Amino acid sequence: MSQGRRLTGPKKYLAVVLAVAFILLIWQSAAWSLPDFLMPDIPVVFARLFQSITEQDFLDGLAGSMSRLGTGYGFAMLFGIGFGLIGGVLFFFRETLRTAIIILQSIPSIAWVPLFLIVMGFGNLPIIVVVALGAFFPMALSVMNATESVQPVHVSAARVMGASRWQLLKRVYLPAVMPELITGAQLAFGNAWRALISAEMLVGFGQGLGRSLAYSGEIADMVGVMMNILVIAILATLIDQVILEKFKQRMLRYQYV
Amino acid sequence: MQLKFEDVKKRFGSLEVIKHFNAEVAEGELVALVGPSGCGKSTILHLAAGLEKPSEGRVLADGKLITAPNPQRTLVFQEHALYPWLTLQANVAMALELQGVGKKQAYAEAEGWLERVNLKGFEHYYPHQVSGGMRQRTALARAFMVKPEILLLDEPFGALDALTRMSLQDVLHELIEEHKPSVMLVTHDVDEALYLADRILVFGPRPTHVLKEFSFEHCERSHDLSGVAEQRKEILSLLGIKTEVRA
Repeated sequence: MSQGRRLTGPKKYLAVVLAVAFILLIWQSAAWSLPDFLMPDIPVVFARLFQSITEQDFLDGLAGSMSRLGTGYGFAMLFGIGFGLIGGVLFFFRETLRTAIIILQSIPSIAWVPLFLIVMGFGNLPIIVVVALGAFFPMALSVMNATESVQPVHVSAARVMGASRWQLLKRVYLPAVMPELITGAQLAFGNAWRALISAEMLVGFGQGLGRSLAYSGEIADMVGVMMNILVIAILATLIDQVILEKFKQRMLRYQYV
Repeated sequence: MQLKFEDVKKRFGSLEVIKHFNAEVAEGELVALVGPSGCGKSTILHLAAGLEKPSEGRVLADGKLITAPNPQRTLVFQEHALYPWLTLQANVAMALELQGVGKKQAYAEAEGWLERVNLKGFEHYYPHQVSGGMRQRTALARAFMVKPEILLLDEPFGALDALTRMSLQDVLHELIEEHKPSVMLVTHDVDEALYLADRILVFGPRPTHVLKEFSFEHCERSHDLSGVAEQRKEILSLLGIKTEVRA
């Protein structure tokens, strides 16, 4: 597409390396200027990380966080795409849903935690629901908005060929909104991830990245705090830039040829 | 299959697009509608396809009221009607798949049809990778593959350059000769209508009404149009184009 405006090859990698180096430099400068018990050096934190990934507790926490994220995000994707597409063909439903979403998404999903804790009880469920809520809104909204720009001629052509309503959704609307759907999924992932970590920190149930981070803070273990932050950053970047980007290139293959 | 418009009216809100339209396309006949932009010619095709319903009057296919789209009556659009996310082969195959034909068979038939319109070797290209003429060849393959009894053409070559357009008119002509559908062709291009049509209806500006009808059965025709020069002159002057020699 617009290859002239994009960096490719070695230059792109150089930019990425520079960005990472810049972040690490700020961190290390803080470590040099502050005492060790306030801000640990980078090598110390990495040493703790390599030690932690061999410990069962840490791995259990990671698995716990990932399963809460997967469940919440998965449900949000499913319902977001479903509602968004239905809104694409039922105009009254679309306006109603869009207004409801605009109102509801102004509430940070973490604000629901006190309510959900009491209604659903102390456990996995309130965290999963908060994650799903955070991800559902951008997902449904992007898909729904994209259905409006589906070309009428694409819909007419399918109708002329005898497409049923279900076939129209599956064969025309879904592929037509795919670019926005993927952007929505990336946006939704950002929301889901932030909701997950903050809900885990707040709820403090079981094991998980947020819980482990909050706990390290409570016992003033700054190496633990920085290690958890490091893991949070690395994981989110990997999921977004590797998994979701691969998904994007696969689904939008036609745009890259 | 025969197509008939009985006293058809179409309004969009308060805008009256078609007023008292009566016409008939006989079995195997090709009727061209020629007229200024925005005179409601495309709306007539949409009514025949079943995409729109008339405000008053009736549209009939073999005497039966048209209420919804049906693959027997297929419509070819001006352009951009191919799906950009599908390869040419998948685009053509979709016409059969939507009718419940299995993917494998639909793809095999699509391959044959692409070869028929001289697109062998381009099966796996996406629409944006090929020329406008190749896209419309694909659209023709997609339309003819379902063996429609009524073929509706909405300025199918309107976006193409003159030479490509003429070669596609020949492709279209051959396909029509082979499959003998009844055809309604909407076009801006008087020469295209003269080259292809058995009958031409010349339209005046909105609300749509027929100014004059021309019949060309048993005429010898070629792209140079010398056999129909008189009619050409008359149609052009009906459409407000000067035909006398410039001073």
